[in-house]
Amino acid sequence: VNFHRLMTSAFLATWLAAGLRLSGPVLLAALGETFAERSGVLNVGIEGTILLGALASFLTVYVTGMVWFGLLAAMLTGIVFNLFLAWMYVTVRASQVVVGLVFNVLALGIATTVYRRTLGESSGPQNVAMFAPLHVPWLSDLPLLGPVLSGQTSLLYLTLLLVGLAQFVLFHTSFGLALRAAGENPSAADAAGISVPRMRYIGVLIGGATAGMAGAYLVLAQIGLFRESIVSGQGFIALGIVIFGRWNPWKAALAALVFGACDALQLSLQLGGGNVPPQLLASLPYVVTILAISGLFGGRAVQPAALMVPYAKE
Amino acid sequence: MRLIVRRARTAQSPLAIASSMVIAVVAAMLFTAALFALYGANPLQAYLALFHEPFASLRGFGYTLVRAAPLMLIALGTIVSWRSGFGYLGFEGCFVLGAAATTWLALTTSFSFWVFFPLALLLSFATGAVWAGVVALMRARLGGNEVLISLMTNYVAILIVQYLVSGPMRAPGGVPETALLPRATWLPFILRGTRAHAGILLAIVAALLVWMALRTMRLGYELIVSGLSPTAARYGGINVGARLVLAAFCAGGLGSWAGTVEVLGEQHRLMDGISGGVGFTGIIVALLARLNPLAVIPSAVLYGGMTVGANAMQRRAGIPSSITFILQSLIVLMVLASEILRRYRVNLA
Repeated sequence: VNFHRLMTSAFLATWLAAGLRLSGPVLLAALGETFAERSGVLNVGIEGTILLGALASFLTVYVTGMVWFGLLAAMLTGIVFNLFLAWMYVTVRASQVVVGLVFNVLALGIATTVYRRTLGESSGPQNVAMFAPLHVPWLSDLPLLGPVLSGQTSLLYLTLLLVGLAQFVLFHTSFGLALRAAGENPSAADAAGISVPRMRYIGVLIGGATAGMAGAYLVLAQIGLFRESIVSGQGFIALGIVIFGRWNPWKAALAALVFGACDALQLSLQLGGGNVPPQLLASLPYVVTILAISGLFGGRAVQPAALMVPYAKE
Repeated sequence: MRLIVRRARTAQSPLAIASSMVIAVVAAMLFTAALFALYGANPLQAYLALFHEPFASLRGFGYTLVRAAPLMLIALGTIVSWRSGFGYLGFEGCFVLGAAATTWLALTTSFSFWVFFPLALLLSFATGAVWAGVVALMRARLGGNEVLISLMTNYVAILIVQYLVSGPMRAPGGVPETALLPRATWLPFILRGTRAHAGILLAIVAALLVWMALRTMRLGYELIVSGLSPTAARYGGINVGARLVLAAFCAGGLGSWAGTVEVLGEQHRLMDGISGGVGFTGIIVALLARLNPLAVIPSAVLYGGMTVGANAMQRRAGIPSSITFILQSLIVLMVLASEILRRYRVNLA
């Protein structure tokens, strides 16, 4: 009986550790997107931003060999492209869904063209250096959480720190209050002396930085190479996680963990070689996300009141 | 005295709109020209190559029509759903599922073409209608976000088709694809010496029907009112939820027809990766046409032609065909951004 229990808890720990690792990219993207949406902007262009971040980190590490440079390059790429997106959303006041969607096609075009230009002719996909797992001594001794938390990459620990930081900034600083006011009641925020466009620019740029980091995570902590299909909907899943996490960073972390656990489960079932076709297993994370945002669990009522509503000063 | 003055209200005259759009298209083309130069190609020659093959050679024009047909159908689906206030983005999924349903019917039955084709259209339309209808139900009944849900359904549909072509529908051989469809199920070719097929005729008829339905029929009126103002529509006695589901049915069905046309007209079999992003390019075509069903016809031919030209350019000059994604999306983004130009006027007095 004891042996059996040990096996079960070992499986549980491995499963949750893999789930935590796989939740990293969507969690990073969802954290920044929470800021964008709290300021009133739905950034569907997150999918393309992640792709461009992934490419930037890949190329940087391919040239320099330094993973932290790769992360930085991805963040900067995300910020630069989201400056354009923020201009379209906030200054031009174009439809947010339309701009984001078309931007994703643009990003795919840019990423594919640049990748083929730089490396396309070389034979086969190229591997780059990756973040190494860290073994934190006291962390692995923790009961229950130890085996799950220990042995992850520094990028994941950074992501978890960012959850706390995001929670603090959004709900316990005057900046966070101003940002939320811009998304909740822009005219009132304006009357109170808050610049709504400025808050929304900042929100979208924070989203760009973390979406870029999410791309770097995919390349530098999960796959180790770049391909055009590397994101495959994880940006959209991050949008779902923001909804399921009720526009709240730490709840988004829990939602991301649920997604990661599903993904880890389907991957281990694929490796287990059961009867279920791998393609159908692979659809599990998408199906779970659809159910999570289908409205079965509520959600519309708590979204920022001015989400997707462009603001023009009277 | 300032040279550029902000208008009190955005200019809405046709001249202002047209000129700002021209500036936008020129800006997008200049940016892409810079990319061509980056590849060491002469931008003028590159553009000439991009438009010569699809529009100046008969064979190329045939291919242009082949590419335009599915784009047109998906753009029409976009128009029906978006103008009804249903932000559906799941056309990639409808496309592959429509292609799969059509392939299944073609491989399992042996009717003559004129029995088979209406049946295939019916089955394909029903497949897409149900696929998109489920999303509409989630929105109408549960208040779910149809934009995100429909984006997610694309991935599920693509995985389902991957499963079909690598499992139950796979033909013997090294590649995961179905057997070649019987010749009797192929769409007739319509231009001698080219690959242009009757799918383009179906797409044009569909464009006329959608245009008429939205313009002259009571149902079309109700759909558009539901989209413009659900509250007003409800007050006027229109069942908004039912209209939403109906719009989703039509959108999904049209998207599925795009897959049918691609399978019966061009590929003649089902394989993984058959869509190649057409589900999103189709939406962009609809945006370029400003959601006008008739304007979809020229804009689909233009964007279909660009794809053909890009492939030719890749073969001849080694410039990656993915550069068309950049040009195609940038044109629409710049047109959207050009609205900002109309907020200002030049003050020469």
